[in-house]
Amino acid sequence: MSRAGSYLRHPFWQALGVLVGSYLLFKFGIGYVLPAIGVHSAPVPSSVLLQYMLTVVVALLLYVSTNEGRWSKFKEPLRQVMVDSDKRALRVVLLVALPLLVGFLTYGRVRADVGAPASLRSIHPAPPNQITFRGETISLTGLENPLREHGSFEEHLAVGATVYVQNCMPCHGDRLDGEGPAAHALNPVPANFTDNGTISQLTESYVFWRIATGGRGLPVEGAPWNSAMPAWEDLLTVDEIWAVTLFIYERSGSTPRTWEESSEGEGH
Amino acid sequence: MVGRLVSAAPLRSVALPSVGSSRVRWVGVGIAVLLALLLPVRLAPAQDAASGEAIYRAWCLECHGAEGRGDGPAAERMLPRPRDFVGARYQIRTTASGELPTDDDLMRVMRDGLPGTAMPGWPNLGDQEKRDVLAFVKSLSPFFERETPEVLQRSADPGGGADRAGAGREAYGTLECARCHGEHGRGDGRSAPTLEDWRGFPVRAADLSEPWLFNGGMGADAIHTRFLTGMDGTPMPSNQDALEAGVVTEEDLWNLAHYVAGLGPAKAPELEEVVRVERREQLPGGPADAAWDDLPSFYFPLVGQIVQAPRQFAPTVDGVWVKGVHDGAELALRIEWNDPSNSPDPGWQEWQDKIAAALYSDGAPIPAEPLPDLLGVQFPMTPPDGRARPYFLMGDRRKPVYLWLWHSRRGAVEGRATGLGTTEVVDSGAGLTASAEWEAGRWRVVFRRPLADDDDGVLSFSEGDPIPIAFFAWDGSSGETGTRGSISAWYFVGLQPPTSNAVFVAPLVAFLVTGGLGMFAVRRAQKSYRG
Ligand code: HEC
Ligand code: HEC
Ligand code: HEC
Repeated sequence: MSRAGSYLRHPFWQALGVLVGSYLLFKFGIGYVLPAIGVHSAPVPSSVLLQYMLTVVVALLLYVSTNEGRWSKFKEPLRQVMVDSDKRALRVVLLVALPLLVGFLTYGRVRADVGAPASLRSIHPAPPNQITFRGETISLTGLENPLREHGSFEEHLAVGATVYVQNCMPCHGDRLDGEGPAAHALNPVPANFTDNGTISQLTESYVFWRIATGGRGLPVEGAPWNSAMPAWEDLLTVDEIWAVTLFIYERSGSTPRTWEESSEGEGH
Repeated sequence: MVGRLVSAAPLRSVALPSVGSSRVRWVGVGIAVLLALLLPVRLAPAQDAASGEAIYRAWCLECHGAEGRGDGPAAERMLPRPRDFVGARYQIRTTASGELPTDDDLMRVMRDGLPGTAMPGWPNLGDQEKRDVLAFVKSLSPFFERETPEVLQRSADPGGGADRAGAGREAYGTLECARCHGEHGRGDGRSAPTLEDWRGFPVRAADLSEPWLFNGGMGADAIHTRFLTGMDGTPMPSNQDALEAGVVTEEDLWNLAHYVAGLGPAKAPELEEVVRVERREQLPGGPADAAWDDLPSFYFPLVGQIVQAPRQFAPTVDGVWVKGVHDGAELALRIEWNDPSNSPDPGWQEWQDKIAAALYSDGAPIPAEPLPDLLGVQFPMTPPDGRARPYFLMGDRRKPVYLWLWHSRRGAVEGRATGLGTTEVVDSGAGLTASAEWEAGRWRVVFRRPLADDDDGVLSFSEGDPIPIAFFAWDGSSGETGTRGSISAWYFVGLQPPTSNAVFVAPLVAFLVTGGLGMFAVRRAQKSYRG
């Protein structure tokens, strides 16, 4: 215990621990652990990771050097490795291994390789105020799903289910998880409606806009040239689109965002 | 349906006789007691089927149909069609040909789905829910009541994997697998254009070089099971009889299983985004030139064009393999894909008509004459400036795309498109040439073009920056033309710059500088501490 405890209290090992810990957090925690527990997030790109790590190093150096005692204690292990005669073997190993590592990393950087450029896109860009649907203007602001007010909910749902399996299923999947039989060949992949980062963040008017005008209706920041999402105004009627909207919310167990919620800020 | 019959109804009919004499009453009570004793046993599957029915209505009905006849509202956009549970001919079984599947067989299908078809796995349903829905599915057919399926006894894999493959080629001949699957297993056998399932829908002889799409999973053991049990309802036969008649031995069949397993890769190909085009002194010649062999191969999945009408929901071509090489002046790309027919081929005319009848129900005109095979390779008109590119489906009016269009009888031309179905031929004079070869169910097309072009209007390929590329394929013998065909997303071609020795300079400098600084620091430290 005392041995482990003395390591734990030693500023050098503390700093090393923080360094490794923050690397793991940035590298794996943000990109993989958070989504696993249901929080929306994406892996940190390597250039950003480097920036984060530099910030951590500077902060650590500032911390250890503010107190004279701590600073000399911090330097102690470094001094031992560089000076003590019983650490000679370790010294030689480090003097060879570290430059080798640096050389190798440099090689990885300068080696000629053609990688795919990063393709960034805004998943939920701001919607237009109005759209034209087969030549007819529809205002999106304040628009609600009319089928929630009129007729039989069950019947609308049944229509929506049929529209869904006939048209959306090959991409968005029977389980609505975006894993239909055609999904593996598309990039970006079809939206996963059971994920709380998609339709549950949106008003039904936004979803109506996306279904009606598809990938080609996206603004530039949404990278419209890549999206395989069809423009359903070509193939479906207004009512069918509202019915399938109803269906994807109902079946995925999510609720649309209301206009009150979205006017409280955040936007999409 | 059977589930509902079994439940409460028998009890009431038993209560009725008690109105008569006391003896009748006692008999009635006796029967009632007996029934009550039997009830928990009888009711258990019934309850399952009842809760299974709700799950069925929620998740299966749209494909398999309200009565389980495989005719749900989504069915007519699928090939193979969803299973007809009333007819109850099951493909993925461990039981003998003509028998029903075991519960384990069905649970496997529920877990893994049937790869290569529209039938997915169901990770969202728990084990009990899966059992319940299967109880309901079984209740749709009278056969499960009458028969208890038994696992077909098969010998164990003697091992020796790849070593057996060579010997397995023989049984492939003896058992006439090539009649349907073709010489190299690409589904191009002489009977292939005539195959249909028991309901008369056209069915493809599986492409044995794409095992990741096998319905029953990949690997020698799964394959062994399939050709011994057969895939009921399809032309895929059982070879248990041939084994029992001594036409082949157990040994032969395991050799065959390993041979078939070796016809394709051991796992599904991984997707990389960039075709790495290596630089060589000399470009390979035709499609079969051995100089192609040691170049890296890149796989890109294709899917049916279902974004714009008329759509193709079940296309023939499901992927392309691409290799690239350049010599500083010219670029050569070899594109390879499996297509069982060298179209136009009158031998496939009947197949073409059957596919059209089964799949193209959207009212769009269906060409009756034999059609050619086509391939389109798409690029932007100029290297993209920033992120923006043309729309991945042949561009649009604002941003057209530059195309290499290949026709199975006329060769390649350059083209331009402003949307799906709008391709026009433009001879930019850039000097595109192509050579093609169809061999045993596989097309290989080599395109060659000078890298740079003086004409400003035409895309130049340069080393370094990757250029977007996308692929389109049409199988004429399946009636594919216009917007009906296979499509891919945008990927990239990247020409590798020549590797100069300069790349070793920076690492060496870095090594020496870090090492030198280290030595210096150690010296200083030792001096100051000793001093
Ligand atoms: C050809 C494949 C394809 C088909 C068919 C398809 N989608 Fe999509 N869909 C996509 C892709 C890819 C995306 C993600 C890219 C995007 O947002 O444009 C998407 C996105 C969406 C979104 C946006 C979700 C969000 O969080 O922004 C909605 C809503 C949607 N689809 C609904 C539907 C409906 C309803 C249908 C059927 C009527 C349908 N889709 C059919 C491919 C498809
Ligand atoms: C998207 C459409 C679709 C949905 C939804 C679907 N299936 Fe299927 N299913 C199919 C198709 C298509 C086949 C036949 C594939 C073939 O013939 O190769 C099939 C085949 C089957 C088979 C036969 C397996 C065999 O060995 O022959 C079973 C069992 C089955 N489905 C059960 C279910 C159950 C249970 C559900 C609901 C939880 C379900 N399916 C939902 C499309 C679907
Ligand atoms: C009469 C034609 C015919 C013959 C002969 C035939 N097959 Fe098949 N085979 C088929 C068809 C059709 C399918 C596709 C069935 C489906 O997916 O619905 C198939 C599928 C397969 C599969 C894929 C199984 C899966 O899980 O999807 C394998 C492996 C296979 N056959 C191997 C063989 C072997 C080995 C032989 C020779 C012993 C053979 N076949 C003989 C028609 C045939």
